[in-house]
Amino acid sequence: MAMIIINGRAVECAEGTPVLKVAVDAGFDVPFYCFHPGLKIVASCRLCLMEMRSKDPKTGEMVWSPRLIPSCQTPARDGMEVRFDSPNVRQNQRAVMEDYLLNHPLDCPVCDQAGECWLQDYSMKYGNALSRMTEPKTVNPKKSVGSKTLLYQDRCVLCSRCVRFCREVAGTNELCVIRRSSYAEIDAFPGIPLENKLQGNVVDICPVGALLDKDFLYKQRVWYLKTSKSICPNCSTGCTICIDHNNGRVWRLRPRTNRKVNTWWICDEGRFGWKYVHSNQRLLAPMLKGARVTWDAALAAAQQLLAPAGKAQQGKGVAVVLSPMMACEEAWLLAKVVRAAAPQATLVTGFVPKASADELFPVGLTDQAKAKFIIRAEKCPNRCGVEAVCKALGGPQATFADFLAKAKQGTFALAWIVGGYSQEWVTRDCSDALSKVSQLIVQDIFPSSLSARADLALPSCAWVEREGTFVNHAGIAQPFDRALPPPVGCQQDSQYLYRLAGMEGLYRAEKVREQMLDKVAELRDLWTPPAEARGMH
Amino acid sequence: MAFEPVLSRNFNVPGSQSIDVYRQRGGYRAIAKALEMGRDAVAEEVKKSNLRGRGGAGFPAGTKWSFLPPNRTVTYLCVNADESEPGTFNNRYIMELDPHMLLEGILIAGYTTRATIAYIYLRVEYHKAYRILQKALEEAYAANLFGKNILGNPDFSMDCYIHRGAGAYVCGEETGLIESLEGKRGWPRIKPPFPAIAGAFGKPTVVNNVETLSCVVPIIDRGAAWFASIGLPPASTGPKLYTVSGPVKRPGCYEAPLGLTVRELIEGKDFGQGMQDGKKIKAVIPGGLSVGFLTSDELDCKLDFDDPRKYGLLGLGTAGAIVIDESVDLRQVLMNIARFYSTESCGQCTQCREGTMWIYKIARRIASGTGRLEDLDLITEITATMGMMTGRSICGHADGATFPLKTLIKKFRLDFENYIRNQKGVAEVIAAQ
Ligand SMILES: Cc1cc2nc3c(=O)[nH]c(=O)nc-3n(C[C@H](O)[C@H](O)[C@H](O)COP(=O)(O)O)c2cc1C
Ligand code: SF4
Ligand code: FES
Repeated sequence: MAMIIINGRAVECAEGTPVLKVAVDAGFDVPFYCFHPGLKIVASCRLCLMEMRSKDPKTGEMVWSPRLIPSCQTPARDGMEVRFDSPNVRQNQRAVMEDYLLNHPLDCPVCDQAGECWLQDYSMKYGNALSRMTEPKTVNPKKSVGSKTLLYQDRCVLCSRCVRFCREVAGTNELCVIRRSSYAEIDAFPGIPLENKLQGNVVDICPVGALLDKDFLYKQRVWYLKTSKSICPNCSTGCTICIDHNNGRVWRLRPRTNRKVNTWWICDEGRFGWKYVHSNQRLLAPMLKGARVTWDAALAAAQQLLAPAGKAQQGKGVAVVLSPMMACEEAWLLAKVVRAAAPQATLVTGFVPKASADELFPVGLTDQAKAKFIIRAEKCPNRCGVEAVCKALGGPQATFADFLAKAKQGTFALAWIVGGYSQEWVTRDCSDALSKVSQLIVQDIFPSSLSARADLALPSCAWVEREGTFVNHAGIAQPFDRALPPPVGCQQDSQYLYRLAGMEGLYRAEKVREQMLDKVAELRDLWTPPAEARGMH
Repeated sequence: MAFEPVLSRNFNVPGSQSIDVYRQRGGYRAIAKALEMGRDAVAEEVKKSNLRGRGGAGFPAGTKWSFLPPNRTVTYLCVNADESEPGTFNNRYIMELDPHMLLEGILIAGYTTRATIAYIYLRVEYHKAYRILQKALEEAYAANLFGKNILGNPDFSMDCYIHRGAGAYVCGEETGLIESLEGKRGWPRIKPPFPAIAGAFGKPTVVNNVETLSCVVPIIDRGAAWFASIGLPPASTGPKLYTVSGPVKRPGCYEAPLGLTVRELIEGKDFGQGMQDGKKIKAVIPGGLSVGFLTSDELDCKLDFDDPRKYGLLGLGTAGAIVIDESVDLRQVLMNIARFYSTESCGQCTQCREGTMWIYKIARRIASGTGRLEDLDLITEITATMGMMTGRSICGHADGATFPLKTLIKKFRLDFENYIRNQKGVAEVIAAQ
């Protein structure tokens, strides 16, 4: 540990941490652009400069050196004293801010970044209202740098974060700086457009409105967006994300800093993987033997279907297929509901979608320990959590493959099957096997051949409309909040499971979790990453 | 006693570029001597000579070499032959007229620093120097001066490559040079680490100017004491190749001990021989553009490592003087300077990238006849926002930009005020708009 003094206030930090980071983490409002904790330090924006107290070589006295130091490039050493509230430092901040705006088009009214733009924020604080440059502005071009990303060069501050990201994290090197001086531009290397699987991050880390997400372009003013904390359901990494939504719609997803899981990044599969939520193909009402029914009727039917099966096992069993897309709490509730009626019901961890292999970044890497980001082959968020729930509940269990094999032999009288995938998941094999099950309850987001022939089909909600906990590939349990209400006519899955379980009131993941704690050790330590100060996202 | 040329002693000898002529005149004697002396003794000798870098910063060469970590396994030597400082062409004279002197200097420095590869980073526009160096290098290889076990010494092997730049001024800055050498964009690096610790390809590296390395040859050949007696010891020792350009009678490259005055360089019979008929000195840039301006009253400034500072200049620089006569419109001078530093800024540091361009725009406007008096203060104010010396920029390019701009405005303020009051633009500037 080291103790350093910033603007007269003592701050504790780990020896060697960049002074800028120490200051920002301690809540000081230091302006900066080029520094990013996940990227190499270049110290080129020259906005974070501070004054440091050091020994005068002549007198041996401690004096404030007139020479400014880049705080991002200066490691904290015990006893060090820095400040950034002196006239000298302020003068530099003002000068740099004036420079940034010289050739900037000042097109905030039509800029997507407005409202979350560091250039706007700093200008308010450190800038001048009027430019002293009377000559015409240097005009730099606007261009598309890849199928998903636009670059408005005239708004760029040349912090080179995007270039470093492509080099150091993605390992694909598409972006580079071309030309010199005030004409310097970011560009995609000729013939190599920005198409890597992490490329959306460059828009996030661009502190200004230069790099823009084509998907989000002109969709919303950011100050209308509400933000909910969530976990990406697209693979077993379980990246922590923000869901930005408004008017009952998701508009974009962004990563949330999480040192244990995804650091500062998410992949594009996750980032753009929410579109199905607003599909008009969704199952929106309960269906009893193909006919739309009210929720009361549906839940009564569910109870009826469960009851006789439980009473008369007739040598045939009951199974409940818990999808790895479900939260732990949902899996627990459903298993409880089914087991209450049929104590010997088989618990099955549902279909686990898989890609051929994990994808490591920087690309070309094979050592998982060295990877800066991993898109996992397992394309669901909660296999570990669902397995843990099943294990905790004990009794008959089966893998999905075993279950299908048994179903094919006509073992089951009733199966309650949960889907919840963003894509068609019912294979030929699966539907053949399930045709041998006498009665089916299907709970899913989209209608399928399965829901069509189910005795009872219940609509599922997408993860943005639910709350609960996912346990990722490494056993880290992370809670996620509900961002949107269920679509009209729907209920959150756990809400109707609540009712079936005879519980009162509104579903709260927390309440269910409390019941689970003794049994499911995985849920005892929930990991919510500490919020990191501005700019460290 | 007339000064006996040291660095330029072969310049006028016919066939001076060939290894045979170089040898006949005592060449490659120093490297043989160095190999006998051993590394430590050579390093000590160079330190004692107080040889200071001729590339502009004036850092003592012996001290620089001593920064190399003692336990290193690989060392590179980068020869800074990017010579792009306006008004400077002494490296070019050395490379074109006495390439073997440079190669011998590289050998001694390489031997002393245990370098295994020397890269000559050559300014791309120097086509002739490239051909001559290439030929000299072939001759030297054939004579076992480069390659394995040099001159039969089992403890000294070194290769030498010529790497041609791509036309960027900032690649003369030592870490910009290294980046460019590595095949990257020539963006100067942040320091620390300094090249001596982690330079080319992350390995300990020495970067020295062509003239600096050439000076090592006579130091070993004739001894540090002799070298240190030349010039203005103790701070400014040794001979120096000065260049002078502009409307003098005899522009060119001349050798003299450090400490020659600007007046002697312009007027001396062995040097510029005075102004061309009818021309009068208006201003002098004494040491490569980046050091700044002297007025015609300041010609007694001595070109050594200390005196120029007393005149508000950056330093000795490269001792490449540019003389400007009274017929020149200083607004065009201002504009050209601003354009140079602006287009050559690598673009990393905000103040250098934007500030120099802003000044260029103002200078162009002044030249077109619509200047305002407050523009002069504005330019001065902008120059104060950048520079490595105040910690505001990464490399010395920004300082190099500020000194000529601010000294020009400060020392010739009345001229600029008159120009602005007259409101008459420079015809060519207006025409170009
Ligand atoms: C913008 C800039 C351009 C430079 N250009 C050159 C150059 O062309 N040649 C050179 O020898 N040094 C140049 N230098 C100085 C080098 O950075 C470095 O100080 C020098 O190569 C060290 O060699 P020396 O110690 O032998 O002088 C330049 C410095 C700056 C800041
Ligand atoms: S001072 Fe100028 S030339 Fe030097 S690194 Fe900064 S921007 Fe580049
Ligand atoms: S120079 Fe420190 S953050 Fe950019």
